[in-house]
Amino acid sequence: MKKYVSLAVCSMQNTLSYRLSFVLNFLGSFIALLATYFLWRAIYDGQSELAGFDWNQMKSYLLVTFFANSMLSYYSESGITNKVMDGTVAMDLLKPLNFQKARLAESLGSCVLEGLLSAVLISVLAIAAFGIPMPVDGVSGILFAISMLSSILVKFGIVYCTALICFYTTSGFGVIWARMAVTNLLSGALVPFAFFPDWLRNVAMALPFQGIVNTPTTIFLGMSDTREAILLIAVQWFWIAALWLLGRSMWGWAVRQITIHGG
Amino acid sequence: MTRTTLSVRNTPRRILFLYRRLFGQQLKAILEYSSDFYVMIGAAAFTQIVGFLFLWVVFSRIPVIQGWGFWEVAFMYAMIYFSEGVGSLFFEGTWRMLRLVNMGELDRYLVRPMPIVLQIFCTGIGMNGIGNIAIGGAIIGMSLYHVDIDWSITSVLSALVVLASALAVRIGINLAANCSAFWIRTSGNAFPIMVHNMGEFAKYPITIYSLGLQLFLALGVPFAFVSFVPAAVLFGKEDWAAYGWLSPLAAAYVFGIALLLLRIGLRRYESSGN
Amino acid sequence: MSLIEAKGLRKVFRQAVKEPGLRGAVKHLFTQRYVDKHAVDGIDLTIREGETVAYVGPNGAGKSTTIKMLSGVLVPTSGELRVDGFVPHKQRMENAVRIGAVFGQRTQLWWDIPVRESLNLLKDIYQVPEDAFRRNLDAFVELLGMEEFIHLSARKLSLGQRMRADLAAALLHDPKIVYLDEPTIGLDVSVKQKIRSFIKQMNRDKGTTLLLTTHDLGDIEDLCERLVIIDHGRIIYDGSLQAVKDAFARERTIHLQLGSELAEPSLLFSDLPEVGMDRTGPYRLAIRFDRFRITASEIVKRIISQADVADFHIDEPNIESIIRRVYEGSLDLELAAESPVAASREA
Repeated sequence: MKKYVSLAVCSMQNTLSYRLSFVLNFLGSFIALLATYFLWRAIYDGQSELAGFDWNQMKSYLLVTFFANSMLSYYSESGITNKVMDGTVAMDLLKPLNFQKARLAESLGSCVLEGLLSAVLISVLAIAAFGIPMPVDGVSGILFAISMLSSILVKFGIVYCTALICFYTTSGFGVIWARMAVTNLLSGALVPFAFFPDWLRNVAMALPFQGIVNTPTTIFLGMSDTREAILLIAVQWFWIAALWLLGRSMWGWAVRQITIHGG
Repeated sequence: MTRTTLSVRNTPRRILFLYRRLFGQQLKAILEYSSDFYVMIGAAAFTQIVGFLFLWVVFSRIPVIQGWGFWEVAFMYAMIYFSEGVGSLFFEGTWRMLRLVNMGELDRYLVRPMPIVLQIFCTGIGMNGIGNIAIGGAIIGMSLYHVDIDWSITSVLSALVVLASALAVRIGINLAANCSAFWIRTSGNAFPIMVHNMGEFAKYPITIYSLGLQLFLALGVPFAFVSFVPAAVLFGKEDWAAYGWLSPLAAAYVFGIALLLLRIGLRRYESSGN
Repeated sequence: MSLIEAKGLRKVFRQAVKEPGLRGAVKHLFTQRYVDKHAVDGIDLTIREGETVAYVGPNGAGKSTTIKMLSGVLVPTSGELRVDGFVPHKQRMENAVRIGAVFGQRTQLWWDIPVRESLNLLKDIYQVPEDAFRRNLDAFVELLGMEEFIHLSARKLSLGQRMRADLAAALLHDPKIVYLDEPTIGLDVSVKQKIRSFIKQMNRDKGTTLLLTTHDLGDIEDLCERLVIIDHGRIIYDGSLQAVKDAFARERTIHLQLGSELAEPSLLFSDLPEVGMDRTGPYRLAIRFDRFRITASEIVKRIISQADVADFHIDEPNIESIIRRVYEGSLDLELAAESPVAASREA
């Protein structure tokens, strides 16, 4: 366990040392947030409610979505993908570390900073400009925190399995882009599920992506009661476990390829 | 001991000829060596389709946003991706500037008798651009079909000028942003990517933004001329169409800045090993 | 007529100073400290048409920086520079058609396309007339033995093949001046020979001016008449190669393997202070001496008077050791140029 903690710390320091790159990336996604904020503001101009969301709820939705998305950002994701792509995997096999756990530790390490930075930014925004309603009682607050943490783990599972696909293609960027596009749509990051036509909503709910954005936002906005919230978190954990196992078997398969055919 | 020192003059014709030669060779190399660029093409196309779905979902709830209909906004949205695709496919080299500078690869460009910018442009080809151009082009085509446009010789001509300027502005922004490679050397492409992300603003009518942001998109990093102004001209939005005349000027402005930055950057260029 | 004329040429790089550790990183975030590194520190250099010049010096002496300024890659911090009447970094186009450059490890060729295509592309870039191109290409292919690999892309070439292809690429447009930065580094002897004889022929037949940096003394001796030595960004010697060789032809080193320890080493050459004695191992000695002042047999005789000599051999002087010692500061070439041997040679 200790070695994974130190990996996480190391990753944190690494993130710090590339701080400029990290901050610029962060600003980049902040720009996207601003653009969608203004778009929604224009959409809500003269509308009191759309698909069950009023303007204040939509603002909260945007901020929580941004927070969830800034975890395990492009920056950390490409870190994992590069590990697979640049052939250092063979080196990692020599170390007494579990590849998957090591990547998880690193991701969580940089998540601490990503979370911190976006939390600060969001608080400033929330207080200064947006004025969003917070969850009312302690129970839903705690449930939201749990669902947020689970969201990171779900995302890790998806990102990790996607990264392993790069064993089969040299086009790492393409894979990341495709993953991002799918995640954006099916997690609810682009637009709340409530806006979806029924069939698309049903598809989205049956897939793991919804655990990243839809679950924490739903709980934050108090759109589910305590029982439903716990159920949603349980579904997150089902996916966390399933993706972990999938990642493990994909890794095992990849390692056999490496050891049989050479890196 | 006879020698006739060659002389080389860069006429537009020669530059076009060299661009074709260099691009053609790069393309041949890519087709031969990298087999799975179709993943990139697919991913780029897919990303765009997802974004289009988003617009569609939104507009299924509300038909008009500040006077702009679905297909009009779809046009702006598609222009951003289309211009990105043109940038990737034909001018991908701008995105390789970081490597050119950091690895000292500009050395060999600087000893060749042709413009540096041309050589930078031809440093690579982003096949993913094909995906963007295909889907972007399709959406643009569909929006032109769906919106009632008063076609005439003048409207066609002005459309061509505005669209060509839009592409030039986009490529100029790419070039200028990537010149940061001469100054910021430790952060990867993060800065140009951030500038690239400002294109997000121009996916929607810029009238939805605060005045400061609007000015920034018109005068600072003029993404407005990539999508919004062409839309205004094409769809005959009277409040904004007049800005179409500024499009070529915006292109000249952006390229002027980019070339200036490149010039200053080259003075700082330290090759490698130092 | 002088082709290259540099006066007070200077290049200063600014380097950020980073302190180690997390504290250093945080400090660096707020205050950036820089030091100026004077890579080239005011050099004067005049090279006439048709000259062959070796430009040597230890790593980091400023050789590459100079060449990159001459070729228009780097902009000088100050000083005057003209190449065939043009200022390289300002009149880049005019300069580019007059020069050919090979920058050691890095290829000028397109990585992914066959060498022949690369050369074809260069033909278009330099606007080489078709007949001149044919003539040159045929000649180069034969002289450099490129037949076997001209259809391969640069990424598939061995180092020696790539260097030959690069050389052909640099000379395709009949440049007046060629800059070669470490052209034979890492190559085997036969390729080196091919490259050297090719360069020699270009210089002989076409009068191509040559400026060459290298660590390979064979290159220098084979190709160059003039030697320019640079250290810490300054030229410390500029003169004929022959003069240097003559001046130091009197230097010899004798290596001895002793059977026992010397009794009184300090007394051995107390009458000859310029004799240098280095211990190169247990019972091993290297003795540097001026053969006009003392003979090798005299040295061996003196050693035998104090210890058993198991074995010995004498190093012939070579340009390498001379230059190395110039870097180390233990030889003064200005003096050498005025030495009686050099003088008698000139006469």
